[in-house]
Amino acid sequence: MTTRRTFLSASAVVGLSLVSAKEESRQRELPQELYNILQKVQNHLFPKGTLLPSASLFGATDFLQETLYHSSYDRDIRNFVLRGAKELRDTHKGELLNYNEEQMEKALRDFEETKMGSNWLSRVMILSIEALLSDPIYGGNFQELGWKALETTGGSPRPTSRYVAL
Amino acid sequence: MRDKYDAIIVGSGASGGAVAYQLCKAGYRVALLEKGRLIRREEFSKDELAYCRRDIVTPNLFDEYHTIEEKIDGAWVETPTFESGWSFWNGNIVGGSSNLMSGMLHRMHPDDFRLKTVYGEIEGANIEDWAISYEELEPYYTLAEELVGISGKAQPHPYKAPRSTKDFPQAPTQESAITKLFDRSCKALGVTPLITPRAVLSQDRGERLACYYSNFCGSYGCSSGAKGSSREAFIAPALATGNLTLLTNSHVTKLHSTQKEVTEVEVVNTLTLASQKLSAKIFVLALQAHESSRLLLNSANKFHPQGLSNSSGEVGKNLIFSAGGAGGGTFYRKSMKKKDFEALMQRGLFVNRSLLDWYIQKNWLGGKEKGGLVEFMFEHQNNISRAISTRYSNSRLLWGKELAQAMHSSFTQSKKIRFEIFNDWLPTDDCFLSLDTKRKDKYGMSVGKLRIHGHPHDMSVAKSIAKECEKVLQEMGAEDIYSSLSSTPPQNLIAGGCRFGDDPKRAVLNKNCQSFDTANLFVADASFMPTGGSTPYTWTIYANALRVGDMIIKVLQRKL
Ligand SMILES: Cc1cc2nc3c(=O)[nH]c(=O)nc-3n(C[C@H](O)[C@H](O)[C@H](O)COP(=O)(O)OP(=O)(O)OC[C@H]3O[C@@H](n4cnc5c(N)ncnc54)[C@H](O)[C@@H]3O)c2cc1C
Ligand code: SF4
Repeated sequence: MTTRRTFLSASAVVGLSLVSAKEESRQRELPQELYNILQKVQNHLFPKGTLLPSASLFGATDFLQETLYHSSYDRDIRNFVLRGAKELRDTHKGELLNYNEEQMEKALRDFEETKMGSNWLSRVMILSIEALLSDPIYGGNFQELGWKALETTGGSPRPTSRYVAL
Repeated sequence: MRDKYDAIIVGSGASGGAVAYQLCKAGYRVALLEKGRLIRREEFSKDELAYCRRDIVTPNLFDEYHTIEEKIDGAWVETPTFESGWSFWNGNIVGGSSNLMSGMLHRMHPDDFRLKTVYGEIEGANIEDWAISYEELEPYYTLAEELVGISGKAQPHPYKAPRSTKDFPQAPTQESAITKLFDRSCKALGVTPLITPRAVLSQDRGERLACYYSNFCGSYGCSSGAKGSSREAFIAPALATGNLTLLTNSHVTKLHSTQKEVTEVEVVNTLTLASQKLSAKIFVLALQAHESSRLLLNSANKFHPQGLSNSSGEVGKNLIFSAGGAGGGTFYRKSMKKKDFEALMQRGLFVNRSLLDWYIQKNWLGGKEKGGLVEFMFEHQNNISRAISTRYSNSRLLWGKELAQAMHSSFTQSKKIRFEIFNDWLPTDDCFLSLDTKRKDKYGMSVGKLRIHGHPHDMSVAKSIAKECEKVLQEMGAEDIYSSLSSTPPQNLIAGGCRFGDDPKRAVLNKNCQSFDTANLFVADASFMPTGGSTPYTWTIYANALRVGDMIIKVLQRKL
């Protein structure tokens, strides 16, 4: 039986066990091939030379990878993102990574015509926007370039740890 | 053995904190059991990803969830919230959802306490008068105003609830330049603009510092102490009395009872999953309305086979929400003088305006009718959600240059204003909480099943008000004006489920929010409300919980 003392002392170590669970999940990574596909897609959604920083500059794919494997992220959505990337790979018989900009545009617009494709692109877009505009502590929004491009800032105080890991 | 505690309160939100405050100040020993963790004032940040886009201050939906039943094409369809992502958790940390509220607070009107008597019955709705009058609650509205620190300005209006004090304890918070345009436009239309009472300090008060207009208020904890959360206004001073034991990560899964009284609560530590039982003289439920009913139903035993305090069969019934509809419009840089647009873009200041002109309607929908309140505010300033909302054009996902243009222009060339309508959500037989006995949460409790239905009358009231609001926005010169009405309820403003009343056969609680069946059990959150008025609930929740605190003190003093 738990004594009142252990009950209370366990209450006092708020969050510690959560942190270790997160650390554990952070070690997981996307298979390289899927990472490359997602990177290629995100680079197409946020290319160089627009009013926004490019996906490669704001760190979209590393953010996406860390986010998908974090314990706070919905596991069904994670699986959906992986499934969509595989589907895109298979539809293009492994050639997607060699596509030029025009071919990439066609591939993604074609994918958008399917129900799964439009949902998947929307989800990858949401993850990319999270990378663009979340606090840089999460690894995206490099040098606050996302905020600067939109003439905005995050609120104050800024987070000092990811996901309120107190 | 003497009980260690005079009272055990389950849930540390708006209602639980207010009861704890009253009892601790009066010298009683209280255990406040909160399933979430403590986030201190100085630990809150404006982390959009954590607070607004992940389940960080609410349970993971795979561990704890609800089942929602909605009528689709004539049939009731069940969807667990882990599938839909439509979470009915609102803030599970010390202080509850009150940490995260926007703090726009309103008193209910005296008519709201006698809706059936004043406005009559409506077919298909279970309208009942309250067991107390506005006059009985008024002193507690005033007490809450003082303790929570509600800023505002007393302004005359025929539909405003009367006050017993001259003015608010603090002047209103600072306002955006848009209020001048708003006031001018309302006056041109013969509408009376009113300053919104806000649970936000405009000046320092003791340990709590004035609002610094952080630009991110609703959905975020406050790091200055300005927001009148239960944690700041009640739990901190209750802790200072030395009479409060705050037990975090303590999830109550069941109440044990005899025929006549509750004896113990079963508590699971959410970190170790160890469980234990705690006892006290008095037990108070303050889990937020839908969850208090769920706990009572989950506490069925041989003495109370239908669930605790449920001899009437009314637990979970007549759930209501504070809702109506919403709408808005946009101001564009290109259509305004540079200086006016720039003033509009000043960050952090509140719109602080509400309208009561359509709260009571004469000769409308065929007679004297209850209408509703309207609150005006800027679009939430969250960067990620604002950016996400620009991603489509004609159902086609934008990307590349097009997306960058759309996002940039939305952020820098326009400012959106919104309105929210609050009118009565009429209680019906088709809006209630029961147990989903097929589904259990992480702690082995049956999941709460919410059947949701809005009475068609609510929609017609909201529609008429929305039209008036659109006129105000037109007069202001806003563009792209819209309103959207739906009977989808907001999950953060829930009441009902344990109605109070005088008849134990038809109500769960007596007028003091004390269980008819087990006299040492009180329900202090919004569960007691038979109707909800046409306002957001929280001022009423605070006021009533302070009243319940006083009633419990009388019971402990054997005066009741
Ligand atoms: C984003 C947001 C904005 C809002 N804005 C406004 C506003 O402008 N105006 C307004 O009037 N209202 C507003 N509200 C609503 C307001 O916060 C609630 O009405 C109020 O907090 C409800 O009080 P409560 O005590 O019923 O529940 P809560 O404050 O939610 O507290 C319930 C507590 O009980 C705990 N609990 C639940 N189950 C258990 C259990 N089994 N064991 C132990 N503990 C448990 C929960 O973790 C929680 O901390 C807003 C809410 C949100 C989320
Ligand atoms: S500082 Fe003001 S605006 Fe910011 S959270 Fe606190 S009360 Fe809200």
